[in-house]
Amino acid sequence: MTAARAREKTRAERTHRRRRLALRLLHFAGLFVTMCVICLPGLWIVLNSFRPSVEILAKPPDWTPSFTLEHYRAMFGGAGEGGVPVFRYFRNSLVISLSSTVIAILIGMSGGYAFARYRFRAKNAYFVGLMLFRAVPGVALSLPLFIIFARVGIIDTHFGLILVYVAMNVPFTIWLTDGFFRQIPRELREAAEIDGCTKWQAFWRVEFPTARAGVASAAIFAFLTSWNEFALASQLTRSAESKTLPVGLLDFTAEFTINWGGMCALAVLMIVPALVLTFLVQKHLISGLTFGGVKG
Amino acid sequence: MTAVTLSGIVKRYGGLLAVAGVSLDIRDGEFVVLVGPSGCGKSTTLRMIAGLEEISEGEVLIGDRVVNALPPRERNVSMVFQNYALYPHMTVRENLGFSLKIAGADAATVAAAVDDAAAILALGDLLERRPAQLSGGQRQRVAMGRAIVRRPDVFLFDEPLSNLDAKLRSQMRVEIKKLHQKFGSTVVYVTHDQVEAMTLADRIVLMRDGVVVQVGTPLELFDFPADAFVATFIGSPPMNLVDGVVGEGDGGGEVIFADSSRLPVPVSARGGVSAGRRVLFGFRADSLMPRGHSVREEGDVVSLRLAVNLTEPLGTETLLFTEVGGAEVQGKMFNPRPVVAGEVLDFCLLLDRCHLFDAETSAAIRV
Amino acid sequence: MMFPTLRRPPEWLLLLMPAFFVIAAVILMPLVFSLYSSFTPYRLTKPDTLWKWIGTANYQKILTDGKFWAAFGRTILFLTIVLNLELLLGLAIALMISRVTRGQRTLRTILMFPMMFSPILVGFQFKFIFNDNIGLVNNALQSLGFTNAAAPWLVDAKLAMFSIMFAEIWMSTSIFAVLLLAGLFAMPQDPLEAAKVDGCTPWQSFRHITLPFLTPFIFIALTIRSLDVARAYDVVQIMTGGGPARRTELVWTLMSRTGYVDARMGIANAMGYVSILLSILFTLYFFRKLSAARAAIGMSD
Ligand SMILES: Nc1ncnc2c1ncn2[C@@H]1O[C@H](COP(=O)(O)OP(=O)(O)O)[C@@H](O)[C@H]1O
Ligand SMILES: [Mg+2]
Repeated sequence: MTAARAREKTRAERTHRRRRLALRLLHFAGLFVTMCVICLPGLWIVLNSFRPSVEILAKPPDWTPSFTLEHYRAMFGGAGEGGVPVFRYFRNSLVISLSSTVIAILIGMSGGYAFARYRFRAKNAYFVGLMLFRAVPGVALSLPLFIIFARVGIIDTHFGLILVYVAMNVPFTIWLTDGFFRQIPRELREAAEIDGCTKWQAFWRVEFPTARAGVASAAIFAFLTSWNEFALASQLTRSAESKTLPVGLLDFTAEFTINWGGMCALAVLMIVPALVLTFLVQKHLISGLTFGGVKG
Repeated sequence: MTAVTLSGIVKRYGGLLAVAGVSLDIRDGEFVVLVGPSGCGKSTTLRMIAGLEEISEGEVLIGDRVVNALPPRERNVSMVFQNYALYPHMTVRENLGFSLKIAGADAATVAAAVDDAAAILALGDLLERRPAQLSGGQRQRVAMGRAIVRRPDVFLFDEPLSNLDAKLRSQMRVEIKKLHQKFGSTVVYVTHDQVEAMTLADRIVLMRDGVVVQVGTPLELFDFPADAFVATFIGSPPMNLVDGVVGEGDGGGEVIFADSSRLPVPVSARGGVSAGRRVLFGFRADSLMPRGHSVREEGDVVSLRLAVNLTEPLGTETLLFTEVGGAEVQGKMFNPRPVVAGEVLDFCLLLDRCHLFDAETSAAIRV
Repeated sequence: MMFPTLRRPPEWLLLLMPAFFVIAAVILMPLVFSLYSSFTPYRLTKPDTLWKWIGTANYQKILTDGKFWAAFGRTILFLTIVLNLELLLGLAIALMISRVTRGQRTLRTILMFPMMFSPILVGFQFKFIFNDNIGLVNNALQSLGFTNAAAPWLVDAKLAMFSIMFAEIWMSTSIFAVLLLAGLFAMPQDPLEAAKVDGCTPWQSFRHITLPFLTPFIFIALTIRSLDVARAYDVVQIMTGGGPARRTELVWTLMSRTGYVDARMGIANAMGYVSILLSILFTLYFFRKLSAARAAIGMSD
């Protein structure tokens, strides 16, 4: 090998190494920016929930860190001092979300099971048809529902909202549970039947426990949808009797002013349960979504 | 007494006829193997016995009860599935005890039965594990254990060994046979592997395209195949079949092949065929042996000089690939010596162990 | 037999019955009602108007209404830009995370963060952050000395559109990233290795192997997302309410204003129907694409 060739080779190696280094830096920078963009807004909300109002509104901006619990104190202080009945809202949200989730899961599981285990004509059409009902925009639905519920007299009740959320969550629960039940080999229920189970027992003692994690993640999905829903809740609730947290958030806005600090504190209260629940089942959540979708 | 009787059972899936009228009398304590190529309706037949598929036509009797309308749990059968179907959320102990628990047995009875089954199948160390923590062979044993815990009237097996490697498979074959001898229950066993069928069965039921082709003991099927399909399905390597036409000739006549070579009509069919009939001349590899390396050279034997195209040494014997009547066939060399490709050897063909099949119907021709 | 025998309905139908029933009661029935009322001049304040049939007058009115078409066009534009960007960003993020060797789980967990946010919370959050007076963005720009002026993030037509799109993308990119990441993990490695041996450049193996494998996952994400496109309503309603002066008006905000503020339910329901058709078309389109993609790589059963 001549010296010139060797030199050329090392130069090629050097550019190669440089390019890889540049790529790695780019990779790292990309990830860093992405994670910042994802985290900063939420972090900003949390930080501001601990900042005194004067500081939030300060002009020019005041960046020195300070800490106060005034917003939380005001929030949990109840309706007395012009505050918002947060406890009521929280309880409403909890009751409505939990009951609608349980019911939606029962109904959705039964439907998902039908899709996963039975053959019937036009199955795909039924499936897509059900999903389309999920696609109906909440705002568009809220207009007629508002009129009908007012007629029937279930406006501003837990029952009304629970009913709506059940219907809203059933299609997607069917999608998810269909996927989970399909992952369970048919032989499992057959083995159970041979072992002496009735069909009912075979489901509850073998298939359901096997799909448990998946069903849990479908439940989390349903819960989050109800917990976070606004378009319908804002029209179908009126008073502290049934208002949910997302609707309650509006209580912090007056005609021209917004109580930012209080709003942030309520936001934190809303997001914490959702965070905890989601992290508990995140793995199953993803597998459920993709499996249900891929193995049509 | 738990005999199992199938009378004319049929299974239709829409337009597809998966099982087309199977009748069978399985005696109490008998080990019956359903064997056949995949898709021939073995599993469907078994599942109809188990109650997992509805029966389109015909009747299934377990003991003297017609069970057509009974759900699986009322048939007192147990089943081992190909992929084991162990309950993933239960420990091995719970898996084994599940059927008794469902039946409402008290804890002590369940524990005793589980320990008993675990002892028989050497599962003692695995009882607290979950199926995911077991190897394939261990899962298989648990599946068997689950089947024996209940002491059912009938054991059903659907290809229970086909997910195991060759060595484990032959070990488990022996164990299954021992279990059968120990319990003496009726067994219906489905497999596509003819070796399993031959080694395990009291009686083999050979199926094709949803119908039973032949029923008999392993040796009956091996020695007297009802048709060319049975002859090629049972035994390894499959029986050699050579196309030919029956010609005029002295004695019992002879079969003329495509390349104009000829062989005498086999002993079994002598006098049963007339000239001009198109036939398949069949013989197994161990009926065509080089002289000096054979099990027998006297009796009804013809000599052939054949060139060896290819060899497959198996240790105690060597498979020789050669041509007879224009078709590639396999012969066997016992106490083998090295043979090179192209070498020409003196072979003897045991005519009294050859078969003749009708070329159209493929049915065996015997007198 | 003279009379048809009453047969027990099949089990699958029994199992689906509760779902059909609740959906019929809570979604189908209101939809039928709103379809009917979209042919009347119904006003909440005058209940009698519900019984007056005016044919397609409402539809004619909105279809000849410049304001409606402006909102409609803006909605389509909004969805097109937002969905494409979400897909591209989601793909980029998924690829970046799939190449991380340490801390991958943490990153994936963080990635799921926006999925749990209520859309209305997202709206408030960005209303706060883009606030021209006390928002994080302007405060930061001013403190860092880029500008002394307060950029009108939620007031200027272009900036306001940008802001609501940013909020929407922040909220929904995660679902794409998470699903595509799952697709990348599910991908068999042998074809990629074979391609490397065959001398493909990284771009070529991405283009011809990774991307085709990801296609069904892309459509799953798009389908799931299309079920929820109207979620943007919550965000926009809070951030700008369609204003100022209709600069960010989308079909949904226009409809809700017409219905609830002006109480003209008949015409609002007619708009609602347009928005429903829009959502359904999106969903159907992606479902079809999903089936085709599945069939193409042999995943359907
Ligand atoms: N659930 C079903 N629906 C439609 N066809 C089926 C079903 N189960 C089995 N078949 C068909 O019935 C035939 C027999 O199947 P099977 O009994 O499983 O065969 P094997 O002998 O391999 O066990 C096959 O052609 C198979 O495709
Ligand atoms: Mg089978």
